[in-house]
Amino acid sequence: MLQVIKSVLAAFLGVQSEKNRQQDFQSRSPWPFIVTGVVMTLVFVLVVASVARWAAS
Amino acid sequence: MVPELPPRPDKHQAISDTAAGGSAVDQGGHHHEQPTGLLRWLLTTNHKEIGTLYMLFALLMFFIGGTMALIVRAELFQPGMTFVVPEFFNQMTTMHGLIMVFGAIMPAFVGLANWLIPVQIGAPDMALPRLNNFSFWLLPVSFTILLSTLFMEGGGPNFGWTFYAPLSTTYGPPSTSFFILAMHLAGISSILGAINIIATILNLRTPNMRLMDMPLFVWTWLITAFLLIAVMPVLAGVITMMLLDINFGTSFFDAAGGGDPVLFQHLFWFFGHPEVYIMILPAFGIVSAIVPTFARKRLFGYASMVYATASIALLSFVVWAHHMFTVGLPLTAQLFFMYSTMLIAVPTGVKVFNWIATLFRGSISFELPMLFSLAFIVQFTIGGLSGVMLAIAPVDFQYHDTYFVVAHFHYVLVPGAVFAILAAAYYWLPKWSGVYPNVKLGLAHFWLSVIGVNLTFFPMHFSGLAGMPRRIPDYALQFADFNMLSSIGGFLFGISQLLFVAVIVLCIRKKGEKAPAQAWEGAEGLEWQLPSPAPLHTFDTPPEFIPERDSPSRH
Amino acid sequence: MHSLLPFGRWLLVLCVIFASQVQAAAINTSSGWNLPPGVTSISQEIFSLHMIIFWICVAIAVVVFGVMFWSLFAYRKSKGAKPANFHENTTVEVIWTAVPLLILIAMAIPATATLKKIYDTSDADIDILVTGYQWRWHYQYVEEDLSFFSNLGTPRSQILGEEDKGDFYLLEVDNPLVVPVGKKIRFLFTSNDVIHAWWVPDLAIKKDTIPGFINESWTIIDEPGTYRGQCAELCGRDHAYMPIEVRAVSQETYDEWLEEQRQMLAEDAAGSQREWTMDELMDRGKGVYNTYCAACHQADGSGMPPAFPALKNNPMMITEEGRDAHIDAVLYGRSGTSMPAYSGTLSVADIAAVITYERNAWGNDAGDRVQPSEISEMLSDD
Ligand code: HEM
Ligand SMILES: [Cu+2]
Ligand SMILES: [Cu+2]
Repeated sequence: MLQVIKSVLAAFLGVQSEKNRQQDFQSRSPWPFIVTGVVMTLVFVLVVASVARWAAS
Repeated sequence: MVPELPPRPDKHQAISDTAAGGSAVDQGGHHHEQPTGLLRWLLTTNHKEIGTLYMLFALLMFFIGGTMALIVRAELFQPGMTFVVPEFFNQMTTMHGLIMVFGAIMPAFVGLANWLIPVQIGAPDMALPRLNNFSFWLLPVSFTILLSTLFMEGGGPNFGWTFYAPLSTTYGPPSTSFFILAMHLAGISSILGAINIIATILNLRTPNMRLMDMPLFVWTWLITAFLLIAVMPVLAGVITMMLLDINFGTSFFDAAGGGDPVLFQHLFWFFGHPEVYIMILPAFGIVSAIVPTFARKRLFGYASMVYATASIALLSFVVWAHHMFTVGLPLTAQLFFMYSTMLIAVPTGVKVFNWIATLFRGSISFELPMLFSLAFIVQFTIGGLSGVMLAIAPVDFQYHDTYFVVAHFHYVLVPGAVFAILAAAYYWLPKWSGVYPNVKLGLAHFWLSVIGVNLTFFPMHFSGLAGMPRRIPDYALQFADFNMLSSIGGFLFGISQLLFVAVIVLCIRKKGEKAPAQAWEGAEGLEWQLPSPAPLHTFDTPPEFIPERDSPSRH
Repeated sequence: MHSLLPFGRWLLVLCVIFASQVQAAAINTSSGWNLPPGVTSISQEIFSLHMIIFWICVAIAVVVFGVMFWSLFAYRKSKGAKPANFHENTTVEVIWTAVPLLILIAMAIPATATLKKIYDTSDADIDILVTGYQWRWHYQYVEEDLSFFSNLGTPRSQILGEEDKGDFYLLEVDNPLVVPVGKKIRFLFTSNDVIHAWWVPDLAIKKDTIPGFINESWTIIDEPGTYRGQCAELCGRDHAYMPIEVRAVSQETYDEWLEEQRQMLAEDAAGSQREWTMDELMDRGKGVYNTYCAACHQADGSGMPPAFPALKNNPMMITEEGRDAHIDAVLYGRSGTSMPAYSGTLSVADIAAVITYERNAWGNDAGDRVQPSEISEMLSDD
């Protein structure tokens, strides 16, 4: 799971090493990545939103 | 549609059998009693022919939209109402934008997808060939309707390509309902095209080609297609609400009836911002194919490129209100959209760095496709940098709705996306036609285009900063010199495109140096195994693909 | 080869540009190339944010294009370059992702601070309600019970090229917005029809005016002067023709100006009672006509049929029977066409004058007068 989160984070930055990538693509189903990606997008939005909220106050 | 990686060979067989087989029933028929003349093109289900149709259609629209831009530039050559009346000027700016976005750039990319995706993944055709035919033929219908509005009473759309309500609803010309119909048809065409592309990529890859073995052009199109499916319905929704406001007395966007004009902008840009990425991601794929070929070195950071594309696509859903910094959003929202927009610039920048790292320590030659791609990188970067400036909300108060914004998005779209499309044409023309594009004409086309496009759009940064609002037919005297430069550049760029037509005509007539299967020395990919020109039906049996040898991500 | 031809023009036009900078600088604080630093603390903050981000972008461009062109030059195949075989380096990638990220975060901090100041509209001394109309601005001094329209001041003959264009071509109005220096002015923005945007670069204010919504912004102008701007959101045919002129003056001048305005209002009110002569009506009517009507119906009343009917020889305007319909059209507009209602826009004297003018100009020979009192009676009937 940690690996999945790390990979999705890497995807957000757009940087991924070949080794980790190989590892990701060993896994048989893409679903963990897709679900984590969507969840992390939501988390990302919440984080930026709370930073904005904090900065505005 | 179940995206399993890697697809099992037997599954591929089965599906390609139905695709090639299902359509092959009629395609098989085509082999023997192919309709000729117009009917052949009207009824074709062949991905190469449909791809060609898309691209020729895009070229035609490019010239129609371009002529409109030149009318605009002619009026702006000098201050004063000199050439057309303001009503007509507004129709020209609006139609120019709509035609270039929905009629030229998007269909050109779909045409490239049609031609290239099957041959790059070793598929016999698109997964849904008849749907493919339908998606294409919706476009001429749509744009005939759109263009016909110019001849209706009250004229065509005159409210800008962003058609903000209530200017486009309560105050729109009577032809607006036809404009809405035309947009619906174009939208349906895009959605169907996107479904087809996703189905093809996920199901028809040759055995052993995993997702991470696909060429980047295929990757970027896969992601673009998902973006299209996600946002085209939003566009359809917003124009339907307009239709109801105009014809059925609702007031979604009419403040007098309790509606909300700002809601229109939220909906439009929720579609509109991903839309601008739809117009650039396939260009990233093209450049990522061409640069390694002529640097004779594999793409730097293939995996990062894929990840950055996915990241841009996801982020593009949460930045839309950077187009609305002046509508009076609450402070928190303003900050949110400023931050998220600044963040999206990062993966975009990563792309540029990767191309440059690919050039670094390569063995570089400067054939025509490479020239266009290199110009793309430089010019797109200029557009990206002005994008970063626009992202700073307080400063955007000064930039917004000025020629600075016009300069920004033309830099990413014309010297950006259009140059990538031209690069793709020069790169794959040998595969399409069997002969190399004429180098002398091509070089003239390239240099005149580079000079023309920069002469047109670079001065717009200055006129914008000096204070010239966009979408005005007449302007104060201090903007006169920059506008004159832009107009001269515009005509130079426009006229040089005739050279491109000459290049294509020569290729179609097979006048030129014959191209071998491997048309470019350093090119990689399944398409280069096919003879040039590629026969109508290819990869009826899936080609051999060994990731360790053929994958762009191999070690 | 081909590049020679445009290059000559480049040089020529560049010379022209340099020659014209003097004039551009005279119109606002812009150099003619760049944003104006402006005349408020906010505008100056925005200007420096702009310059910082601009130089950051230039620096990035220099580095990126530097490496790129150097690579293109150094690794040419024609010079026998052999391709290396690397295509990944995670460390380098992390660095070039992190550096821009840090730069942007560094940029976001001052930008956030400025934005917060811009949003603080509290404690204003003066409130002005700005309403966008197709195609003019309306200013209402909320505390003063004073309001007026501000129209394009440039004559049509300049636009059509029949006359030389003046220095403030398209940037001049009939009634400028007058404000005192050193006071916090709060602007409230709304619109009567479509969305417009009120933009004065020297004040660094650009705000959309949206029907049914009220937006806010504020400014404190330090230096007296005239600051010009334009509508920045496409609003239809005459979008290019609704400029803004803000005149910042000392408090005394401002008070005098207010007094003058009140007097004029009083005179106007008195005027709507008394009997006007034909000459008075025609004189005033001509001015009103050219400001409000001529854009569509043309200065010579010939119109642009079918969209904009001719008024010259228009049956409504040369016969007694047409009189009521004529007045009705001007007061209430024609729905379904672009003819607006002027009952809320023009004073009764203006309406009476312009109708009289239309009935007696360009060879129209109705011969009758329409009196302001008649119009105010009609309006009070509703
Ligand atoms: C680094 C990435 C980019 C950033 C940060 C960025 C930012 C922005 C911002 C803030 C605006 C709004 C400006 C305004 O109206 O005041 C804008 C407008 C626009 N951008 Fe970008 N942009 C980027 C890349 C792109 C790309 C890649 C494209 C398309 C290929 C694009 C196309 C457009 C278009 C079409 C508009 C204007 C639409 C209109 O108002 O008509 N941008 N951009
Ligand atoms: Cu955007
Ligand atoms: Cu306006």
